Amino acid sequence: MLTKPSILVVENDAAMVNRCGRLLLSRGYKVRTAESSKEALHFVEKYRADVDIMLLSLELPDLGAMSVIEVLHRIKSRILVMAMSSECGEEAIEAIHAGAYDCIRKTFTNARFWTKMNRVMERFTLARHLEILKKERESVLAKDSCDEGTILTILDSMADMILVTDQKGNLILCNKAVVESGLLSGRRLGRPVEECLKNKDLVSFMMATLQSGQPGRPFGHHEVCLLETGDAKLRAHINPVINGDGVIVGSVALLHDMSQTDAMNQVKADFMSMVSHELKAPLSALLMQISVVVDGLAGDINAKQKDLLGKSKEKTKGMIALVNDLLDLRRIEEGKALLVIEPLDMGEILQRSVDLMSLSAQEENIRLEVNIADDLPLLSADRSGMQAIFVNLVSNAVKYTPSGGRVTVDLNMAGKFLRIKVADTGLGIEKADLEHIFDRFYRIKSEQTRSIGGSGLGLAIVKGIVDAHKGTIHLESEVGKGTMIIVSLPLEK
Amino acid sequence: MAGEKILLVDDDYDFCEATELLLQARGYDVTMAHDGEEGLEKVRSRQPDLVILDVMMPKMNGYDVCVVMKADPELSAIPVILLTAVGREMFKTSYTKQMGLMTEADDYIAKPVEPQELVERIEALLKEE
Repeated sequence: MLTKPSILVVENDAAMVNRCGRLLLSRGYKVRTAESSKEALHFVEKYRADVDIMLLSLELPDLGAMSVIEVLHRIKSRILVMAMSSECGEEAIEAIHAGAYDCIRKTFTNARFWTKMNRVMERFTLARHLEILKKERESVLAKDSCDEGTILTILDSMADMILVTDQKGNLILCNKAVVESGLLSGRRLGRPVEECLKNKDLVSFMMATLQSGQPGRPFGHHEVCLLETGDAKLRAHINPVINGDGVIVGSVALLHDMSQTDAMNQVKADFMSMVSHELKAPLSALLMQISVVVDGLAGDINAKQKDLLGKSKEKTKGMIALVNDLLDLRRIEEGKALLVIEPLDMGEILQRSVDLMSLSAQEENIRLEVNIADDLPLLSADRSGMQAIFVNLVSNAVKYTPSGGRVTVDLNMAGKFLRIKVADTGLGIEKADLEHIFDRFYRIKSEQTRSIGGSGLGLAIVKGIVDAHKGTIHLESEVGKGTMIIVSLPLEK
Repeated sequence: MAGEKILLVDDDYDFCEATELLLQARGYDVTMAHDGEEGLEKVRSRQPDLVILDVMMPKMNGYDVCVVMKADPELSAIPVILLTAVGREMFKTSYTKQMGLMTEADDYIAKPVEPQELVERIEALLKEE
């Protein structure tokens, strides 16, 4: 509802002020008065929003009415000016020209006064309505371009399912995908969701989000869960619907059919195991064939042949290691690595792993130091995983450390964590490479590393194992100085 | 030690040929089969002292051959080495435990096989005999 316009009467003739005031007050208008144009302008400046219509005498003594009209025009005021004049001659025309709405002769009858005033009031009302409409239009512009029908069409075109309840848990919206999924026991919008949906888990999750924010429940919390419905596996995201005032007005569930994703992952997994098996079988044969020939079991060979075949054998082993790394990594990533958690003497495992590498360290003239703290507690972990961590970290350190360098391995306790620290005086890692260091197949390419062999999977495997044991891995490196890797494994899971 | 009969069951002919050379050089009497059914047949007809079984084979896989052998009182005493294509060091311990419980095989070697390792495992099992 629009409020009645408030009116400022600007007139120095007291009788005229009285007359206008009485008439306007009699019909409930709010009236203010000013005796001069200066006072009028002062008033407008001070209470701009409080004046809607100005009854302005054209016969003011000071600056004159024209200057008031001009100022109002200049400041783009919304105030409608009704000029009052004894003559309604040239000066009235001039005032209207300058921006006044109309002019009324001061010798008006009541009826004449109201005819003129009603017109300006009407004009005022129209202007306000227009303003309100403009504002509304601005605020609903987004809605206009996407009305309800369009939104429903979009929702019905989606492959994912959407369900919405109101505050009380009545189903108020569901898209076509929901209907086709068979989740509903009849499309009965407006009914409580437990009556509409077959899946009880989904119902309870949706009802739970409606309760969020109540004592003991975090506000606006978001549920993600997997639902089994018949032969489909659905991933559900359930959120409360929160309006602009922060009040929960409903619950919305978005359901995504996982069968497609699962099928894709299965294809990928099948492909991986097919490729690795297809590679492993011939590599197995190749390794055996070469070994038999190198060992002279297929007849005598000369030194040169033996040398060449010896290299072939090493290359073949490298390929085998790559295939194995790939298989290991895939299992870790899929969480299929069969971890056998048992209490382990980590010092013993470390010592054995280091023994395996001491020969290659010796050949490269690298000092390999191992410091194992006394009285280490047993760690519940997977033995083969722990071996893989030690072997990968230490062999990396040895590989990337130039001859004459040093590799130090420390195994000790830090709070409730068992800490493995492997530090080398090697090449170090550039900053740009650091963020990719745990990526699969990431190998630092430089003149110095060109001759170093490896699959680029070692650290990715280490990270996978550390993650599976809920541990952390930390790496620091300085080019030319060396690298330090710290793996922390929690004693209690 | 020479002269023990070893049955090698693997569908890869090249692998068999090279492995035969390796084992013959050690003085073993090697017989070969190239699928599970043929393997089981030769276990019965030749009564080998040790069987090396590949896992992935046509007609009948290595696990099944092993399970049949271990369930047969006449064959259950023959040591079996399974050649698994699964992983290597990292998963071998856990995997071995699982498969060991399931098939009662006497030993496992992950493919690809290091010739030296194969020979050592064979010697160890035959010594136990």
